[in-house]
Amino acid sequence: MNTVLSRANSLFAFSLSVMAALTFGCFITTAFKDRSIPVDIHVSKVMIKNVDDFTGPRERSDLGFVTFDISANLQPIFDWNVKELFLYLTAEYSTKSNALNQVVLWDKIVLRGDNTKLNLKDVKSKYFFFDDGNGLRANKNITLTLSWNVVPNAGILPLVMGSGHKSLAFPETYETSKSY
Amino acid sequence: MLSAFKSIPTYMDYKGQKLAEQIFQGIILVSAVIGFIYGLFIQQFGWTVYIMLAGFTVSCFLTLPPWPMYRKNPLKWQPAVPEASGENRDKPQENQKKKKHK
Repeated sequence: MNTVLSRANSLFAFSLSVMAALTFGCFITTAFKDRSIPVDIHVSKVMIKNVDDFTGPRERSDLGFVTFDISANLQPIFDWNVKELFLYLTAEYSTKSNALNQVVLWDKIVLRGDNTKLNLKDVKSKYFFFDDGNGLRANKNITLTLSWNVVPNAGILPLVMGSGHKSLAFPETYETSKSY
Repeated sequence: MLSAFKSIPTYMDYKGQKLAEQIFQGIILVSAVIGFIYGLFIQQFGWTVYIMLAGFTVSCFLTLPPWPMYRKNPLKWQPAVPEASGENRDKPQENQKKKKHK
């Protein structure tokens, strides 16, 4: 500690250790928090087509079109340890050939400081709702749920499912018109 | 220009070094506690980091330059003896004195 450099080294190393302890403290204060909130999902339009699917092993697969509304208040999830939320809407169903199918239809990134009241109306799905086969036609029970991935400043990244889901049924016949 | 920097004396005596270490550790710990509580209160971790950095800057200013308060207990050297034979006898005594201070 006789020279400036030696004192500066000691000071800087001590500061970094204290910063690490503070970050751990930040993690500990929010580690066991329940990050689930109620979510409201409505479906306004449901349609199904049978189209060429070049990504699968068969000629034609079912393609679903769902238009939905989402409303949720994300404010309780944000605290000093949350940097952003990655939201995604999943459709879950079972068919004769597969017991469990889960398809992500839409996602959104919500940063800290963004508007946390989610009130979206008439949203079309972002990603194609292809089925592995022809299991969507006349499928009575498709469940839509909104989940999110919490990205923290320090700690683990939990996947949380919102409480509240919407069940919908696909129609019996395919849509043959060209428009969406 | 570098030689001008190197010629500025930056030493502190031993009690001064201990005082400097206590000062900077105290300031940083206090600013860490204040920053943690304030950040927890307003739910923004950014403010905790800013308060810590402010504490770091204050303690840099207080402990890095060799202020006179760190030079209050200088080492007591033996007086220099001009003869050659006298110096050989004095050197082992000087080493002993230095070891006691450490």
